[in-house]
Amino acid sequence: MSIVELKEINFIYGKKTPYEIKALDNINLKIEANCITGIIGHTGSGKSTLIQLLNGLIKADSGTVYLDGSDIWEKPKEISKIRFAVGMVMQYPEYQLFADTVREDIAFGPKNMGLDSEEIEKRVLQSAEFCGLDKDILDKSPFDLSGGQKRRVALAGVMAMNPKVLVLDEPAAGLDPKGRREILGGIKEFQRKSGTTVIIVSHSMEDMAMYCDRAIVMCHGKIVAHGTCCEVFSQHKLLLDVGLDVPEITGIILALREKGIDISDNIYTVDGAVEAIKSYYQSSKRERGV
Amino acid sequence: MEASFGVYYEKNSPIHQLDPRTKLLFMIAFIVCIFAANDMYAYLMLIGITVLSVIVSRVPILMVLKGLKPIFIIVIITTILNLFWTDGYTVLWSWWIITIYKESLIRAGMLALRIVILMACTSLYFSYTTTPIELTDGIETGLSFLKKIKVPVHEFAMMMTIALRFIPTLVEETSKIMNAQKARGADFSSGGLIKRAKALIPIIIPLFVSSFRRADELATAMECRCYRGGTGRTRMRVLKMKVKDYVFLLLTAGMIAGVILLNIYGKGYKV
Ligand SMILES: Nc1ncnc2c1ncn2[C@@H]1O[C@H](COP(=O)(O)OP(=O)(O)O)[C@@H](O)[C@H]1O
Ligand SMILES: [Mg+2]
Repeated sequence: MSIVELKEINFIYGKKTPYEIKALDNINLKIEANCITGIIGHTGSGKSTLIQLLNGLIKADSGTVYLDGSDIWEKPKEISKIRFAVGMVMQYPEYQLFADTVREDIAFGPKNMGLDSEEIEKRVLQSAEFCGLDKDILDKSPFDLSGGQKRRVALAGVMAMNPKVLVLDEPAAGLDPKGRREILGGIKEFQRKSGTTVIIVSHSMEDMAMYCDRAIVMCHGKIVAHGTCCEVFSQHKLLLDVGLDVPEITGIILALREKGIDISDNIYTVDGAVEAIKSYYQSSKRERGV
Repeated sequence: MEASFGVYYEKNSPIHQLDPRTKLLFMIAFIVCIFAANDMYAYLMLIGITVLSVIVSRVPILMVLKGLKPIFIIVIITTILNLFWTDGYTVLWSWWIITIYKESLIRAGMLALRIVILMACTSLYFSYTTTPIELTDGIETGLSFLKKIKVPVHEFAMMMTIALRFIPTLVEETSKIMNAQKARGADFSSGGLIKRAKALIPIIIPLFVSSFRRADELATAMECRCYRGGTGRTRMRVLKMKVKDYVFLLLTAGMIAGVILLNIYGKGYKV
């Protein structure tokens, strides 16, 4: 079942100026509920533009965005309701922290929703836990934290609004491998426990393969592929054509296939590769009658 | 957020090729002329110069007009003030306590015109056809004689260059932070004055924090490349006046002479 739907969306930056850029070109898209969808594409392909449409931060030049079947711009005055329903974590969100303490910063969104202080406190603790923030951090100033911690505070600030759809723009950009794993792992755990629909923008194929259920590939403002990770990553030629790489491990498998080793070509995680190579080894052993 | 000031429009017109010092001199002369002119024909000449400049520069006229949008309100307010609160001799229209004189109408019109051509010309010469870097280079070289009386011209120019360099960054950052806070339900457009001022805190604090961080990083980066002020520093682009510039300055002198002559001998309406 789809929760977010885009119909014939066009978006142009700098309309009627010499610097016109067509950022989105006739986008039609349905995003499945209760799973993690990854949006991949090279820099400038329109990923950030696309997701800003989802909570009404920008408005399409033509076309409609539906949330749960109704047009989000039906009542422009109530767009803030849409913003609470579609939580958005922008790129490098650590630069938006402002409050005296981490606790207050995380509470900013829930406070704007008009919740009572008891509920706010509950949500602050809950989302801090999902994001791997210790309790003693809550009373520190957000400016005294490390980069990775700041990022997690910003993420917790959006999670605390309990959105129906959580959208993250490059949540792992600029973090070390451990930081990436922690953040993305935390998001995945949050998704599994809460059943929220999650949309992650990234240009790392490995991350997509590891953490997403479905994938959307964008190129020059258009969607060029959409489906389960398996379906999308099996289109190696298309991915290479749009300037992306297949995940590293898929590249190795493809190279093996070129050498005449007959293993499945839709493998995109290391675990999957281990299984495939094992079974290949066993079956070839059987053939040789060992 | 729109920032029409500081937008360079890339073309290779004669005006783009002028030395920034020439443009500075011209603009000083032009501003003086605008405020010195008192004859209708002198005004027409200045309008003509503005229009001609726009055509020669090949900057789309619509773009110049759009750049004037921010001053629209100022123009309207000054026009209204002049229209209703100044005296004249010939009554055009009168109702209750409001009287409009022919002289006020003309004066208001002239003033509006002055502001409009002043803004149009300034943005044309200083932003559409000159990069900020060229402009500060021009100011620095043009004012370098002040170094003799110990004015830190280079340091001021460097500060200006840096400030100009960061305007687009700051505008972009402001809109990013605003978007991020809007996504958390911040509301900047409703409520009373105090509520709105308070709503700005989540924007201003991150903006300050990142500006300080950026300033710090920039200072470190400059120090790493051994920057230590203007003494002994050579430039990559050395400004050089060309024949074009002298011709243009000659035309500028012609403009000044024209305004003086028309002011004295012009047969147009005097204001
Ligand atoms: N605020 C903006 N003003 C003008 N052009 C923009 C703006 N934001 C993005 N663009 C342009 O729109 C295109 C898509 O950008 P974006 O959605 O940020 O891509 P991505 O997130 O995939 O890197 C790019 O060509 C970019 O230069
Ligand atoms: Mg982006």
